[in-house]
Amino acid sequence: MPDWLAYVNGRLGRLSLPEVESAQVREELAAHLEDTYLSLRAQGVSESDAVRLACDQVPSWLELRRDILSAKLEAFMQNRVSQIWIPGLVTLFSAYVLLALMQFAGLRVMISHPGEPRGIVLYLPWMLSLPLIGAIGAYLSRRAQATGWRVYFAASLPALALGVFFLLLFPLAFLIDPQVSLSIKATALAAAIVNWVILPGFALCLGVALQSLRKVREAHS
Amino acid sequence: MIRTELKRGTAELAILSVLEQQPLHGYEISRRIEHDSGGALRFTLAALYPLLYRMENRGWLRGEWETGDNGRRRRCYKLLPRGRKMLAPLRAEWSDLFRAMRRVARVNHA
Repeated sequence: MPDWLAYVNGRLGRLSLPEVESAQVREELAAHLEDTYLSLRAQGVSESDAVRLACDQVPSWLELRRDILSAKLEAFMQNRVSQIWIPGLVTLFSAYVLLALMQFAGLRVMISHPGEPRGIVLYLPWMLSLPLIGAIGAYLSRRAQATGWRVYFAASLPALALGVFFLLLFPLAFLIDPQVSLSIKATALAAAIVNWVILPGFALCLGVALQSLRKVREAHS
Repeated sequence: MIRTELKRGTAELAILSVLEQQPLHGYEISRRIEHDSGGALRFTLAALYPLLYRMENRGWLRGEWETGDNGRRRRCYKLLPRGRKMLAPLRAEWSDLFRAMRRVARVNHA
């Protein structure tokens, strides 16, 4: 009997899918060819004809690869929306609406060096609320069957969005105000990144970890 | 386009219908459809698997690996509640289509 898995590997080429998924597709197709071949042999078809008829199941491997990828990527796109973007937008929206409400309510902020550009401004009540928002993001993402980096990405989107914003803003700062020295600008940027990206990101990821812990406890109980 | 949609619709209804009776792996699905349709409907490997993956992604089916008595691993497809729910409207749609075609083309039952 031919090695059907080797045959499929040789014909199908590289599938742009995660390795495990790609291996499963290959194994499944090989199993189908093997079943076809064995069934034909059981009906008394000669070895060479059984191989030929089994192989005729796929007129074009290129087309089959395209169709499989299209079917799998359709799911990938759907999953990306439900696992990353919807939970991510929920966390983004909640985090900044809450921040705006806190500012509107006049909650005091902590400033490490008042009046200096390197002063770190801490919105402590907001920071304390971020683990909860991160946990909600993680819950929504996991509910859509997300795992690993997708959950962390969705939950920490408010911090990541600000990170991108600061990185884009940094070159502009040199153009807008050339009188202010580079060291002051760099210090201000570093302070902003710590305050608005790293610390909130850490708080949001803490929420993901707490949600994971809760999930593990639920699984054990 | 209509031809493609029509073919896909037929195939989806056929797959859901055979899986309604019992979970089957890919090769068994194609054999069962061929047998139940008296040889009129045939699914090659190339036609079957992209469709199965698409239906699985929609949450109509779930494929799970099983090891048979002979030690061979096969991915067995099971109908999920969402797929079961799709059966009634699909059957109604096809029934309406056949009725309409009978009237238009004056096709009688054999």
